[in-house]
Amino acid sequence: MDLVTILDIAIGGLLMGGIYALLAMGLSLQYGVARVLNIAHGEFIMLGAFATYTLYTAFGINPLLTLAIVGPIIFIIGFLLHRTLFTRLRISSPSPGAFESRSLLATFGILFIIQNLALIGWGANLRAYSYLNFGVNLGGAIFTANRLVSLGFAIGIGLAFYIFLVRTRMGKAIRAAAQDPATASLMGVNINRVLAICFGLGAVMAGFAGTLLSMRVPINPAMGMNYTIIAIIVIVLGGLGSIPGSFIGGFILGIIGTVVTYIEPSLSLAAYYFIFMLLLLVRPKGILGK
Amino acid sequence: MTKKLLFGLITITLVALVAVPLCSSSCVPAPAPAKDSIVIGASRPLSGMNAMIGDAAFGPIMTMWEEEVNAAGGIYVADYGKKLPIEYLIYDDATDVGTMVRLTEKLILEDKVDILFSSCGTAFISAQAPIANKYGYVLLTAEGGATIMRDALYGLPYVFISLPFSDHYQLPVFADMLAAKGAKTAYIVSIADLHGVEYSGVAAIEFARVGIDLIASVSVPETQEDFSIIIKDAKAANPDVFCVFGYPPQVLPCTAESMALGFNPKCFIAGPGANFGFYQFTFIEALGPNCVDGVLCFAAANRATSPEFAELYDDLEAIVSPAMLDWWGHPYYAPLVQIWQEAIEETGTLDQDILRDYIATHHFDTILGDTYFEMSGEGGGGLLVKETHPGEIGQWQNGVVEIVGGGPWSNTVITADFIYPKPPWPTP
Repeated sequence: MDLVTILDIAIGGLLMGGIYALLAMGLSLQYGVARVLNIAHGEFIMLGAFATYTLYTAFGINPLLTLAIVGPIIFIIGFLLHRTLFTRLRISSPSPGAFESRSLLATFGILFIIQNLALIGWGANLRAYSYLNFGVNLGGAIFTANRLVSLGFAIGIGLAFYIFLVRTRMGKAIRAAAQDPATASLMGVNINRVLAICFGLGAVMAGFAGTLLSMRVPINPAMGMNYTIIAIIVIVLGGLGSIPGSFIGGFILGIIGTVVTYIEPSLSLAAYYFIFMLLLLVRPKGILGK
Repeated sequence: MTKKLLFGLITITLVALVAVPLCSSSCVPAPAPAKDSIVIGASRPLSGMNAMIGDAAFGPIMTMWEEEVNAAGGIYVADYGKKLPIEYLIYDDATDVGTMVRLTEKLILEDKVDILFSSCGTAFISAQAPIANKYGYVLLTAEGGATIMRDALYGLPYVFISLPFSDHYQLPVFADMLAAKGAKTAYIVSIADLHGVEYSGVAAIEFARVGIDLIASVSVPETQEDFSIIIKDAKAANPDVFCVFGYPPQVLPCTAESMALGFNPKCFIAGPGANFGFYQFTFIEALGPNCVDGVLCFAAANRATSPEFAELYDDLEAIVSPAMLDWWGHPYYAPLVQIWQEAIEETGTLDQDILRDYIATHHFDTILGDTYFEMSGEGGGGLLVKETHPGEIGQWQNGVVEIVGGGPWSNTVITADFIYPKPPWPTP
């Protein structure tokens, strides 16, 4: 194996992993803090992807600029969903365990509603567009510009969010709510608002991942579920509720996927599930899980 | 006297009570059973991975035919003594074979549809054919076809396969075209399903027949979305011929990666995917109308094949966008509904056994010309004969799909010369 091949695999893995990390970060926030295992997470990815596709093809807006439009819209949808549906479920559930199972079922419903609305709105067809689709040479290994740019944005968004969590007052409230919602509430944290913001931010991460994905893969209204599964595997791998864990998990999964694709492409999907099972057996808390 | 009169009246009344009902069932012609429409049932992928194929392939033909037939008042069915409009009962199988199987049984057993239309995809029609056959429903298949289905036709008298597939007669023609141009090596990427297994297997046989070495045959799961490492491997192998035997979710990223990585083999074939208008539309914004020039696809006819085909594509474009035109399937799905219509009108019935025998034994005059099925032995199913195929292989040239390869029979219409090696990918 020569140096270029090693670079191909390593950087190729990081390019996949960056997107995986972004979508896992969103789910980690929703499940780790808001305690909603959002099965409809992939549908927000799909919404982000379709919003970007529409804004780019119909209005000629640069796909990267659409992040500024997709973000607020999806945040509002996620925030309102939590304030209306999940807050009510949380209050009416007798225990946190009951809330988790009820909210899980509710997200299945949301999945079908969003997916079918998208089917009505955009049709079932596969959509794709070509953007920044040219090669960039990195030490002999060539990668498409759109994938490199999407990795840059994924890392940038992840870092910005990490700083937000660590440095801001709202970030502190979110971390407090993640550790112990009841105590955080007693300390004056408006828990309903904080959890809704978490859910909204989680949805935004998914939407951003969708925007970045739409630049490089064909999209359709049924695309979400695959990504939800990947996000679940990544948060199990990296550790629930850990932002660095999401990145480490995402990059590991991306590199494993690329290595397996290089050796035997037909086993790439099987490899993901194998890793998932192995991790549950060996370290169920994940790499950075507490 | 009064008694006699009374007795006579009672006798007449009794005779009338017995005789009139008897007469009504035997002496007077029976009125036709009430029926308002021909209900056509189908399990189609309205969502899921195959939705874009269903929507662009058989879907537009179904819509166009419904509009045409119902605008004319329907199809005349002698059994009912009147014209009956057609009415679709379509369920979404969400591109899931198990769901499609259940929905097909529901359409037959619960909904008792008059006609069953095909599901979408090789794996799907392979699963649907034995069910339709079991219940005695005629199935004229649309999207899909495989050698294993053709072999199974001997036990499936109600099944008729319309679409050309791998060795019937696409890949033999393709291999001969490549051999004539001196191609020596090939690299195959295929999806890990019946379609991919079928095409990569037959291609290996056909390439070996004409002396083309197969450098690699790579199988990918349907969830694979990063093709860069595979395209890089192919580029390093430097094959003359690169084949993507997958669906649009594989075909589009493989094309995009090949463009970006500068992988420009002498021959690039991809399908199903490159045979649809949307293949070009994906890249047209960034690279212009000639964006995919040189790419080969499986295709039968275009507007230059005949005035009838020009009219068909014009009619289709009036109801769907140019991105939904299909140069492989539409030339066969349009005759398929013509065959249904003629069979019903000529036999005057919706009886499946009678319709089956009519379709099995008659020649139809369709857009393809003389159209008929070759029957698989006594009591087997039918396969649309290869001599009806106007073409097998297409190539994007100057922004349109030209037919560049066909079988050695009189129906073949080649609309342009095969360009080999393909021109380089355009640069943005």
